[in-house]
Amino acid sequence: MPLSVLLILVAGGIGGIALVLHLLGLSRIPPLTEGRARAGWLREYPDAVPEQISVAASGRAALVRTAQGAGLVWAVGADTTARRLIAPRLTDTAQGLQVRLRDPAAPHITLRLTDTERQTWRAALTGEPT
Amino acid sequence: MIYPDVVQLAVPFFIVAIAVELAWIVIKGRGGRYETRDALTSLLMGAGNVASGILLGFVAYGFFMWLWALTPLDLGNSLWVIALCFVLDDLRYYWVHRFGHRIRWVWASHVNHHSSQHYNLTTALRQTWTGTFTFMMIVRAPLILLGFHPAMVLFVGGLNLIYQFWIHTEAITRLPRWVEAVMNTPSHHRVHHGRNARYLDANYAGVFIIWDRMFGTFVPELDSDRPDYGLVQNLGTFNPLRVAFHEWIGIWRDVTQPGLTVSERLKYAFAAPGYSHDGSRDTSQAIKAKHLARSPDDAGTPGFS
Repeated sequence: MPLSVLLILVAGGIGGIALVLHLLGLSRIPPLTEGRARAGWLREYPDAVPEQISVAASGRAALVRTAQGAGLVWAVGADTTARRLIAPRLTDTAQGLQVRLRDPAAPHITLRLTDTERQTWRAALTGEPT
Repeated sequence: MIYPDVVQLAVPFFIVAIAVELAWIVIKGRGGRYETRDALTSLLMGAGNVASGILLGFVAYGFFMWLWALTPLDLGNSLWVIALCFVLDDLRYYWVHRFGHRIRWVWASHVNHHSSQHYNLTTALRQTWTGTFTFMMIVRAPLILLGFHPAMVLFVGGLNLIYQFWIHTEAITRLPRWVEAVMNTPSHHRVHHGRNARYLDANYAGVFIIWDRMFGTFVPELDSDRPDYGLVQNLGTFNPLRVAFHEWIGIWRDVTQPGLTVSERLKYAFAAPGYSHDGSRDTSQAIKAKHLARSPDDAGTPGFS
């Protein structure tokens, strides 16, 4: 197959499929609930039972406290992922917090938080007083 | 004899099949799920795989032609020889795929294929960009030395890849018993993509599931334990560059951290995924053992025997 035809097929196919999926409403991100956050956490850390879960008002992330320390569950598209946080680097942003991890599979987490949430989450993630 | 690049020729079929599966799911309301960014990432990984083949394919082909010049054997191009080559290449695929899950250096290339939390036909196209760097082309050397022409070996490898496309679906539940006994099917391959402890390191087959049955890695799909797709620790990004290279970066960071012995550095590169010198991570074996500690009744059931 000529390279030019292959390029048109691949580019057109990818663009067309992505457009159809978006028009079908399949780009929507369902909000996290406490139940989804708990399930999402236990999917990745089945031995670290959550003692407390705080879902952000944005519905995009949840702060999880366990006996082994704090962690985050956050939306990745329609699904979730989770990480235990050990000495994360936190930066305040206009919309909340940015968490930087030494993890090439999840290098940073952008959290949309209210001002109150930002203070309590920062304290929980760093162990600093509010 | 000229063998076509069947994977490139199959691109229109891939697009039409994805459209049909999507229409089925939307109309019927079952048989899988799609999401824009996940599918887009998978499709971009597929395009990148084709591009890397065009850019780096000469490395493997050059190696194969060097072997072809060495061997005194030439089995010709009859249909029977092509069929035999297809079966033996599928056995080759089984072992390369098994290495891909048991050796971190090879897993670094293959991990991207398992990084979607979805399981649909776009997942099939979430292919590696870095396969050349695993040097797994060496496993094809016996075929060339036995007298199968390199172009034939690549041709049947392409057919193998195309076969595996359609089994990445939840729209097909089970096929007739004889098919499930001999062939790799959507059900068998869903198990392979499952991150459940039960399903880790199972069903490596490409076309024929008989290899897993022969080598003790077959696990059937249980209705009581539906596959949960993705990685043991899922990615936090849809960025194709991260998807393609994150495990290579992880290897580099692990191997170069201070204070390790040479043996520990080598294990970070070549031991099973999940190895750590301080026990801070879990291999598949450790994950299964921890699962059994939580659910001892699962002992002796498929995947835990």
